[in-house]
Amino acid sequence: MRMENKGEAFSFPRPGFFPDLIKKDQPWFRIKSDEGRPLSGVAHGTTILAFHFKDGVLVAGDRRATASNRIMSNRVDKVLEIDDSALLAISGSPAMALEMGRVLDHSLKYYRRSQLTDISLEGKVRILAQLLKENLPMAVEGIGAVAPLFIARDGATRVVRIFFYDILGAHFEGVEFSVGGSGSPEVQGILRYLDRWSPRPLRELSRDEAILLALRLLETASYFDSATGGVGGQDPIWPLIKLLTPESLETIEEEAISTIYRNEVMRVR
Amino acid sequence: MFDEPYRWIDAIHQRRDYIAEQINRATPVVGLSVREGILLATFHRQNPKLYEIYDRIAMGGIGHPADLETVRELLLNMAHVEGYQRSAFDVSIERLALFGIAPRLKAAFEDIAAPPLILDVLLAEVGQSSKEDLFLQVSFDGNLQRSKGLTVLAPSDEMSSKMDGLLEERLPPKDRTLDEVLPVLSRVFMEILYSQEELGMDGSGNVITPDKLEECKSRLFKEKSWEGVLLDRTSPARVKKVIHPEDMGR
Repeated sequence: MRMENKGEAFSFPRPGFFPDLIKKDQPWFRIKSDEGRPLSGVAHGTTILAFHFKDGVLVAGDRRATASNRIMSNRVDKVLEIDDSALLAISGSPAMALEMGRVLDHSLKYYRRSQLTDISLEGKVRILAQLLKENLPMAVEGIGAVAPLFIARDGATRVVRIFFYDILGAHFEGVEFSVGGSGSPEVQGILRYLDRWSPRPLRELSRDEAILLALRLLETASYFDSATGGVGGQDPIWPLIKLLTPESLETIEEEAISTIYRNEVMRVR
Repeated sequence: MFDEPYRWIDAIHQRRDYIAEQINRATPVVGLSVREGILLATFHRQNPKLYEIYDRIAMGGIGHPADLETVRELLLNMAHVEGYQRSAFDVSIERLALFGIAPRLKAAFEDIAAPPLILDVLLAEVGQSSKEDLFLQVSFDGNLQRSKGLTVLAPSDEMSSKMDGLLEERLPPKDRTLDEVLPVLSRVFMEILYSQEELGMDGSGNVITPDKLEECKSRLFKEKSWEGVLLDRTSPARVKKVIHPEDMGR
């Protein structure tokens, strides 16, 4: 063989494992805060949620990123489409989380294209766990912790499943629902209550009922958590809501969200 | 052994002849711009010859499967690192070919002390409209050939010209659809792979024994496997397999 890959970018020990190609360029290995103190000005704060409903899984996130008591942005997309069968909902440091989303996106595509087959759902879940594990130095520095939700359709069974992670990469399945971010405690309590004692469990909610519930949950989170962006407000900025079902991946249009919000959230007491 | 210039030139000539001889029996790969995107099509005996490389980009190849795999791996690595570090829009077949595989293929070809790489490669990049579609052929010696609309990667210039001529003659000149081109493609493949006698044709290409033509069609799909992929303009992140209607149920 004379076509040698002399550049290090072309040397990789694990077939189909994209992170090996970019390992030296991963920024989260190099960033350090002074004297171990958390950096000020690093954005964080969020409410993300995912729950099963009749057709599949609803995934939603607010749009606010904060740094300390400052609002950095009210237009952050926290529910990322990794491919047509997987969603990543991010909470924690957006810089690290968005980068992880990007690595994951390329990892899945690279695996499919190089190995000529789709990676298994377990394989996807493991790649994200490894990215989180490699992010550990940033997490313990207090500036780069990420705790995402990963929602994916199993290619073999077509079942949509919810996984949640801690900042070390440990992952568990959220059987009925999972939440993340600073505004999640209220949402978690409400979801647990509804699933346990409401007339119908979450899995029996219709599409419209699920969307309405997501909006009400995010508004409740923003009521208690300043780092969670509200629904509506002065600017027409709406949460991101996506539905992953065994057959499709759908993003709910802003117009539909605004109509539901005005009719079913804002004016309902 | 190669201490004198003419010996080196002689060795290069022999190498070129050897590679040409090795890929002589390959079935061509056709690239076609259609309304839906770019269609890459061929027939193979054992190993697939069409591959997805990156968003909007696919590759076809003729030659030794192991050598094709070497080039495919290089392209995949380059494209994904570039796309990750910059943007998916910064990945183009021009850059992959010019700065990636062409120099390496040239170096490998001219290294006469090493076994040669036996392959020719076709790269396709789909645009938002067929005007923006691009094909690049990269030969075993690193030479590049650009084309738009239609291209044929064949083991010889003669076969390439013949197939190109037949397709130009029989396909709608522009805005052709997948449904329109598939029957024409299989017919042209037959005319390239089988003799006029086998096809039941006279010297002018008129069919005089239709049964023989049908038999050849049956043979084509039985002896070889149809391979077609579409780089879809509307969802370019994943190539789609194209099933040939004449291959269904076989």
